Amino acid sequence: MNENAHSRAQKLFAQSLVEGLDAAEQSWLEQHLHECAECSCEAATTQKLLQAFRSVPVSAPRDLAARTQLRVRLRAQESARTSSNALLWVITAASWLLGVFSAPLIWRGFAWVGTQLNLPKPVLELGFVLWWTIPALIAVAVVLQQRAAGVIGAGSRH
Amino acid sequence: MTDDTQALAEGLRRRDPEVLDRLIEQYQQRLYRYLLFLTGEPALAEDLFQETWIRVLERGHQYNAKSKFESWLFAIARNLAIDVSRRKKFRSLEELADPESHQPFEPPDDHAISALQLLVARENEQAVQLSLLKIPAYYREVLLLRFHEELGLEEIATVLSTPISTVKSRLYRGLDALKSAMPGGAA
Repeated sequence: MNENAHSRAQKLFAQSLVEGLDAAEQSWLEQHLHECAECSCEAATTQKLLQAFRSVPVSAPRDLAARTQLRVRLRAQESARTSSNALLWVITAASWLLGVFSAPLIWRGFAWVGTQLNLPKPVLELGFVLWWTIPALIAVAVVLQQRAAGVIGAGSRH
Repeated sequence: MTDDTQALAEGLRRRDPEVLDRLIEQYQQRLYRYLLFLTGEPALAEDLFQETWIRVLERGHQYNAKSKFESWLFAIARNLAIDVSRRKKFRSLEELADPESHQPFEPPDDHAISALQLLVARENEQAVQLSLLKIPAYYREVLLLRFHEELGLEEIATVLSTPISTVKSRLYRGLDALKSAMPGGAA
């Protein structure tokens, strides 16, 4: 058996481990390993080596998964809170801008209603103030209720 | 794309805590082992393990279900390990990013090696397992992904963000390095 056959066998054996062989190459390699004790021994040694590599004893700490699950859940809650706060700020800003620009029209509307119903001026002013504050108070109540529910939910899970 | 993978992608997009809990359980051993092989330090591997899942939570919507979940997961873990190594100036891990541009690998430091040694030295096949510590981290990594995690060449290429040809050449060189690192192996 010539040197080329041994080196081809070694190359094909490595190839079989890394990317696989076609049928003809596989058959040639098996035949060679059957006939050549030296190459067969080297192939067996490599297989043992890989077997040992696969059996390296590594296991994750027992509580690592639980600690990670808790951390991920807390982060998820934190992110949800942050995005909900961002939405609240956007709504507040939009509402404020709308209020500023529509105030003259609303006031005229109140004045017209007051004239038609013959209402005193303080009643009109109170109505005008409530027109702006009631939606904001409702929004605050909703947010506070959501936060309280979030805290209770987190407390009951952990 | 299988129904399972599609359901997984949707769960990640929704940030479904049940889906994440199940994935953490399912992949805890494989991910921890991969990170320990990369870093050589149990404490760092634990930190990176947690950070990886935080990243999965935050970037779950980017998982497109076209690749295997474990390839995507390992790629996230690998990028985090490289970021940390750059911050901490661990030369060995930084070489994972572009090993060809560096000199041949030297072990990161005695502390990192001894930490991994402590773990592997408990078993019978000590000599073989300790020889793993002598080979470059970027060879150890592809050997782990191919022969331990049994990922395909294409999946490894996804994890490493490199062409398949690079993966193959690292695997061939890694096998040679592993044989050479054995007591009595060809140098």
